[in-house]
Amino acid sequence: MRRALHILAANPLTLTGAVLVLLVVLAALLADVVAPYPEHAGAVVDFLNFNKPPSAEHLFGTDLVGRDLFSRVLFAYRISLLLGVVVLVISVPVGVTLGLMAGYLGGRREYVLMRITDVFLSIPPLVLAMSIMGVLPPTLLNGMLAVTAMWWPWYTRLVYNIVRGEKVEGYVLAAEIIGASKWHIMFREILPNCVPAVVTKITLDFGFVILIVSSLSFLGLGVQPPTPDLGSMVAEGARYLPDSWWLAVFPGLAILVAVFGFNLVGDGLRDILGAEQ
Amino acid sequence: MTLLSIRDLKLTFRLWSGPVEVLHGISLAIGKGERVALVGESGSGKSVTARIILGLLQEQRNARISGTVEFEGRDLARLSARERMSMRGRAMSMIFQDPTSSLNPVYRIGPQFREVLDRGSPGISAAEARARAAQMLAEVSIREPDRVLDSYPFQLSGGMNQRVMIAMALANRPALLLADEPGTALDVTVQAQTLDLMRGLVADHGTAVLFISHNLGVVREFADRTYVIYRGRIVESGPTAAVFGDPRHAYTRALMAAQPRLTGGGLPDIPERDPAFDAPAIHHAAGGAA
Repeated sequence: MRRALHILAANPLTLTGAVLVLLVVLAALLADVVAPYPEHAGAVVDFLNFNKPPSAEHLFGTDLVGRDLFSRVLFAYRISLLLGVVVLVISVPVGVTLGLMAGYLGGRREYVLMRITDVFLSIPPLVLAMSIMGVLPPTLLNGMLAVTAMWWPWYTRLVYNIVRGEKVEGYVLAAEIIGASKWHIMFREILPNCVPAVVTKITLDFGFVILIVSSLSFLGLGVQPPTPDLGSMVAEGARYLPDSWWLAVFPGLAILVAVFGFNLVGDGLRDILGAEQ
Repeated sequence: MTLLSIRDLKLTFRLWSGPVEVLHGISLAIGKGERVALVGESGSGKSVTARIILGLLQEQRNARISGTVEFEGRDLARLSARERMSMRGRAMSMIFQDPTSSLNPVYRIGPQFREVLDRGSPGISAAEARARAAQMLAEVSIREPDRVLDSYPFQLSGGMNQRVMIAMALANRPALLLADEPGTALDVTVQAQTLDLMRGLVADHGTAVLFISHNLGVVREFADRTYVIYRGRIVESGPTAAVFGDPRHAYTRALMAAQPRLTGGGLPDIPERDPAFDAPAIHHAAGGAA
């Protein structure tokens, strides 16, 4: 732990990332308290103040129906982080388990699992999510499902490749020889050796999930109004560029800050945990 | 009394390119508490023999095994995968070339030792496991068992890890210990020390050892009886002194001649194949051994 703090301090980029992530998480958690106009997260109209440029009163300006953009960005973070957590909480265990099974058990199971994974990986992620969203009604839950469906194969592939390397290590053979069960070897012996790489990927992916969800919303397939979402805010604002620039620029910057922060932390973790993947 | 008896063991791997026979009918016997060496060059079939004895290859789909392997009077082929598994780590155990990689790098020695002990006495308490582990480590001349139990494998030297492996392998008092070129990854003096240690321990515990090696010097000192294996066939066997003192098979002679000598002189090349090597096996009449 002390070593981790030391590396963190010696690495200003990771520290920057950690601060950004902390800010984003705090903004999302404390949105009710911090936001100057919490009621603006919903379907509120204030036509007296519509489309105002940034000012002391409205830090990021107001949107086309007069809602405070700053407040909406804070609430949008909440949705983005929730999506990120849900997607990863489902896809990581699924992907990791399948990767362990394919890599360790081998044989027919390996072949079937990895070919299914390859099929998923061969479809461009956004296209896959879009086609799922095209079939299902565009609700938040379906958005999560669509992104989850395209996310697990990356973990399967990552873990599979690590397991292939670890499987030939002496400690695996030693465990087989003392009569350890397959499940024990997969989850107790090999999995802990995959943790650094998986944790690093989770951190990096958090930014990407936010980005993908924003992309889906940008295309009108993700989070539906009036729920604030960074992607749909950018999409809507883009139509009024360059005159009402704040409509697109501030939500866009918000996406940048979150993704950038998570990526910096991910890079730092890779160094701290010594993962090579 | 025979502990392990292998008769006419054949092993074939079915590959895409067709079947490949790796063992062509090996017969071998180990008595209770006996130290037996299996000597041969790389690829001669030493390690697969060990894997068959452990019952690991039987579970591999592309391996065809014929002949009989009897351990404590029970035919391994007749046992279920589950019964074979319950024998591993209890009735038989194994140590390897590279002790450090045989230990999982993410756990300390203590918990790993406890898992080994848990195989022999299921449900052993943490305190009891630690006490037994410390006692076992003391038996392999480790002076600070507590420090070792609290260390990760990569914090210990190779020789230390080798002793830990030996202690773990003998912890459940197995009847048979398979030693696959133990300590080859260590330097020569450490290797000699650990072998001495191992010899003392197996004698105390009455454990039989199948010592797999290509190191003739070590085998000569360690084993009661020696089998020489060449390309999946036993070519010569008998009491170690007889095999080494009077090698009669062409391959055994070639192997002996390929040993580096203190007096210098170049090493002869062993030809990849030689008709003389395929001559029938020679069994030295046992002076006491089976």
